[in-house]
Amino acid sequence: MAHPKGEWAEAEIRRDDIKKLLENTKQLAEMYSEIIGIKKAGWENVLRSREKRAEKEKQNG
Amino acid sequence: MAEFSALLTAKAEWKPHQIAKAGDLATLAAAATALAETVKSTLSLASAGMEVVKLLATLQNINPLLMALEALADEVLKQIQDLKEAGYWYLYVDPYYEGNVTPTQKYNYGFEQLRNKAGKRIWEIKDSSGNWTDTPNIPTLAQLNEEKAKPHYASPRKLIPGGYDRDNPLQDPLRSSSEGGVSKFPTFTTKEVIKEFVKAFDDEGDVPRYKLLGEVSAAPKAGEVVYDDDGNAFTGWDPKVDFGLELFDMGQASEDGSIVKNYVAARKALNSKQSVGKPNILGNTEFVGGSGAIAIVIASGDFQSFYDVFNQFSKMFSDIPEFASDTGKNLLDALTEIVTPNKVTVKLTQVDTKYQSFIVGDIIGGKIYNSIGEIIEIIDGSVVPTAMIGRKEVKDTDDEGMITSVMQDFNMNETERWLDMEVIVNPIRNIDGLNPWITGDMVLEMEKRGESGNPEIQDDVFPNYVFKGQDTTELPKASRIYPKVAIVAMEKLMVLPDSTPPDFGGIKIKDIVPGWGEFFQILENFVLQLKGMISDSSAFIQDMIDMIKQVEAFLEYMIKLIDEFLKFFQITLPSQGVYALYIPNQSEGNEGIQSELKNATGIPDLGYAAGLLFVGTEGDKLIAGGGSKNPIDLLALVLGLL
Repeated sequence: MAHPKGEWAEAEIRRDDIKKLLENTKQLAEMYSEIIGIKKAGWENVLRSREKRAEKEKQNG
Repeated sequence: MAEFSALLTAKAEWKPHQIAKAGDLATLAAAATALAETVKSTLSLASAGMEVVKLLATLQNINPLLMALEALADEVLKQIQDLKEAGYWYLYVDPYYEGNVTPTQKYNYGFEQLRNKAGKRIWEIKDSSGNWTDTPNIPTLAQLNEEKAKPHYASPRKLIPGGYDRDNPLQDPLRSSSEGGVSKFPTFTTKEVIKEFVKAFDDEGDVPRYKLLGEVSAAPKAGEVVYDDDGNAFTGWDPKVDFGLELFDMGQASEDGSIVKNYVAARKALNSKQSVGKPNILGNTEFVGGSGAIAIVIASGDFQSFYDVFNQFSKMFSDIPEFASDTGKNLLDALTEIVTPNKVTVKLTQVDTKYQSFIVGDIIGGKIYNSIGEIIEIIDGSVVPTAMIGRKEVKDTDDEGMITSVMQDFNMNETERWLDMEVIVNPIRNIDGLNPWITGDMVLEMEKRGESGNPEIQDDVFPNYVFKGQDTTELPKASRIYPKVAIVAMEKLMVLPDSTPPDFGGIKIKDIVPGWGEFFQILENFVLQLKGMISDSSAFIQDMIDMIKQVEAFLEYMIKLIDEFLKFFQITLPSQGVYALYIPNQSEGNEGIQSELKNATGIPDLGYAAGLLFVGTEGDKLIAGGGSKNPIDLLALVLGLL
């Protein structure tokens, strides 16, 4: 409920500025973490496929 | 003299405040900024990396995520920017810590009147034969004026806070505090807080002040011409005086032998701003922009509730420097000391065992200085006989009958009647506050006679202690009751006890996010270096994976910390005890705000209060979701008032 104009009223004070900043920062960290996680998986796949290719080349002589 | 009058006129002063630029919140904002900027600058690297691995199916759907991430990073940066730009004046009315206003005590000093065991005041009434008899029945004013009745004072006479009030003799000073009786806690009412808010706009002395930079000897001499920021010349300079504007010297006459081209670069600042002064809004005749305010008053009818609400409130506003918890004794400590004062160790001497020695649980009080406390411990090994060495003349008659006399020391306490002891005392607040234990003061055993406070409020009733047996001093010796007695030898400094969590300063962003900024700086530098050297060598790829693992671990840690911190800010202050008045943007300047503050209704006049007033002036950019140009509306939004 909006605070009454021109009148004192008991108020449930919040700090949405801090809360929102914290929530956004947390979401940013989570999403960034997810992206670099995907990227890491990609690089790991590249490494694995290279190892396989090198092994195959070795077997084929 | 000026310093003296400044001391006499302690007052609440306006200070500037910018969300996200102060206290712990500034640390969080810096860390969030670093993360957001790092994310943005590394997104291109992620794309570059994808070129190498673009054939991998797992990465085919990453683009939407990258776009969302970039949008979120932008939002975080924008939010921080908005918070940084939102500047306010704030005024904290503080009756209890540094005391920029003076709380009042509801008591007068008067002679102590005897009370019976039920706490009723004892009066002497003259009967028809002219004899005086004691009664707890309150006489009439006429009886008192005709001297047919009088208060039965304690003997010997003692002036005490809350003693007999000649101007209002019929009402008991110890009546309920809700009916105007004495209060143990310093009172500052909601009305007084609002009065201070209104007054602060009129304070002619609360203007920006600039103090000299450096030594007087290095500054231009008194009387020399000085210049303001725009280069306008001023006379009347005196390096020993504070002025209300930023001033500069003339600067160098020449630059490498040539004429100075840039006087701004060549000049030297003579002073710097020390205080910001009150909001400079002069009303709509001279200031076209609007101004608005949010006033918050924390108030309660009992001190304990005030203390509890204030505790929560100050945690929530830890970005206001006065509520910050990281420097020495803070505001809450000051309040805690009022509610639960620290224990003290008192060294007693000449404890006269003829009237019994003190034991744990005894209430003791200083006769002259009105200190009161409960003995909670007698320190082991501290009880020893008092060393009382006397000098006496000893006469001796020699063989020739000549009498010679010599002075000799002797033990006056051979029977060990008097003892020394160290006792730990829980100080008890007297009506006039906490009084110290002064060396040499006589300490006597006390007993309860009546109560003070407000019986309708829980924990707001306090025993009224008087010296034991003081109502028997006029009786025959055999009927007198003698209290235990000693002398204060010294009050010993006590090491402060460890605090019990959760502390006021239990959660501080700067403690839980140490090194965030540095971490992201290193990360950013690292990825920037990598940008230019993307390669497909296996060694490089392995380095990349290792680095990502480190970042992942760090982010996980960071998320955990944010969660911890979020728990704290998820709370909403209970509405009970917190009163707010929102004055939206208006065009009547300071007078408009003053008038709204004066005329607003709806707040009860409660006994214990402190207040915080924010004032914001209209800027030229739209903020608060595009609905206003006044940061006060943004503040109203984030505080939940809109």
